[in-house]
Amino acid sequence: MSDKKKIEIRDLTKIYGDGVEVRALDGVDLDIEKGEFLAIIGPSGSGKSTLLNMIGILDTPTSGTILLDGIDITTASQRQRSKIRNQKLGFIFQYHHLLPDFNAIENVMMPLLINGIKKSKAKKIACEMLEEVGLYDRANHRPNQLSGGQNQRVAIARALANNPDIVIGDEPTGNLDSKSSDIIYDLLRKLNKEHDQTFILVTHDERMAEKTDRIIRLVDGKIVENSKVE
Amino acid sequence: MFEMSIAFRHISSHRRQTLFSVIAVALSVAIIIVYISMINGFMENIIDSTVENQAHITVFPKENEDEIYLYHGLEDYLSQQEGIIAVSSYYKGEAALQYRHNVEGIVLSGIVPENEDRVLNMEKDMVAGELESLVIPGNNIILGSKLAQNLEVDIGDTVTAQVPGSSPTDFKITGIIRTGTPADEISAYGNLRRVQDLYNTGDIITGTGIRISDIYFAETLANTIDRQTDYDAVSWIELNSEILTLINTQQQFGTIFYIMIFAISGFSIANILSMIVMEKVGEIGMLLAMGTTRRSILCIFLLEAGILGMMGVLVGCVIGYIFCLVIVSITIPVPPEMYFGLDHLPLLIAPQNFIIAGVFSMIINLIAGIQPARKASKMDPVEAIHSV
Repeated sequence: MSDKKKIEIRDLTKIYGDGVEVRALDGVDLDIEKGEFLAIIGPSGSGKSTLLNMIGILDTPTSGTILLDGIDITTASQRQRSKIRNQKLGFIFQYHHLLPDFNAIENVMMPLLINGIKKSKAKKIACEMLEEVGLYDRANHRPNQLSGGQNQRVAIARALANNPDIVIGDEPTGNLDSKSSDIIYDLLRKLNKEHDQTFILVTHDERMAEKTDRIIRLVDGKIVENSKVE
Repeated sequence: MFEMSIAFRHISSHRRQTLFSVIAVALSVAIIIVYISMINGFMENIIDSTVENQAHITVFPKENEDEIYLYHGLEDYLSQQEGIIAVSSYYKGEAALQYRHNVEGIVLSGIVPENEDRVLNMEKDMVAGELESLVIPGNNIILGSKLAQNLEVDIGDTVTAQVPGSSPTDFKITGIIRTGTPADEISAYGNLRRVQDLYNTGDIITGTGIRISDIYFAETLANTIDRQTDYDAVSWIELNSEILTLINTQQQFGTIFYIMIFAISGFSIANILSMIVMEKVGEIGMLLAMGTTRRSILCIFLLEAGILGMMGVLVGCVIGYIFCLVIVSITIPVPPEMYFGLDHLPLLIAPQNFIIAGVFSMIINLIAGIQPARKASKMDPVEAIHSV
């Protein structure tokens, strides 16, 4: 195992079914190195979101293992999973899922407060993160006072607040127009280079996927393409 | 503590629903405070009037006997018992009192006034005349206020007493007593020696009243006297068992009433929390994704139940206190015949009434919050996030 390897997925299978069996993932093997910027693509129902949820420890596989820094996260307890999600993972979803009763800076502070960081320090970090995504001047705006693209940038700042090793994006630009999508993509790329964090993005957008370092194509729960982007 | 700030924001973003829930809890707390204050006021008044107007223990004759002979020995024995403050022997008999065309059947009690005063605090109930007028064995009589009213007599008038087997005897009214109990309608008091003469009984009595220092020790002491003397000693608790049972039953009904009222307010809390949980599904999913533990999610919604409950309890205590003050100030009259001599609705405003209502309400509100909070904490993060 190379020192740079961050995630090792072995024979990962997820079967849904209540009567009728559906293999969402079917023996997936995948290695992802630290600092990679990769896209998972595929048609609807191909299992890409399921794979992402497994890596994000939001869901558990039927069989197989996922090693994160050599530790099998599929067998972790509820408390351990919460801790790993908070400290090692950052999430960006298609819909920003910002807490509507909190302003931008409070939303960015939230994972830091969950991590037990003091409020004053959390606020300082949140300010820096908002500055990085170019929304420092909107720090006191609530989600309903921001545009879709701005909310998604706040969500990115929130995902990166705890300085996670891996950032997971499930259709992060799926809800945005092409101009806003480009801004978000460029921002993610910039942050990936600056922070040397691993970015795993699920997308429908082939054009966007072409801009990543590697494309993983899933069809019927199996990896059918695993290629570096030139 | 981020759980607290999320709980506060959830509540403050639902102002209208919060207001209704707080009002529901506040009204339930206020109603219970008034109810407890009324029941306790009623109970205290009943016990006070019972204990004040009755001997704490009464010693009756031995089984199959109607009188107590050689009672001075019994008095000496009783006076030596620990916890007994005063002893007063009396002779009670039936009689008819006549004044002009008015005749009333009465219970005539022969008493030693200073002893009877020490046992029953008679002096404070005297509304006219002097208790001391019964010290000398003369033809003086003290009447219950209602009896005097029925006979249409007043201090200084002379009434004629007729007892079985004796010729009619005139008595001068030297006092009027009002205890606030039904006894005021049938009771008359004379000097013990004079009443014994009237009944031609010699120096015997029909009972001895006892005052003790701890009224709740009456039962035990009565049993001891019973055992050691063969006389029939009865405590005030036993004598008034019907009233005390009634109060006890009332309290049991009260408990059911509390639970029903609090359940209604609890449902209002459960309702608003269920609504918030349904509305915040995506948010709960995101919090779980950010690493919030299920315990913290549970904590957030239980805190919301606690905050809503606390607000309701505080407002309810203020409203309850105001209600109590209003009821006390307007003095609601009640028929004394139905309320054991009470002529108004008594209210006992005590801190413990507020504490009981508040704590009870908080417990019910937290219980009401458990179901929605558990539902939130058990959500599948993937389903929750993608539900939006």
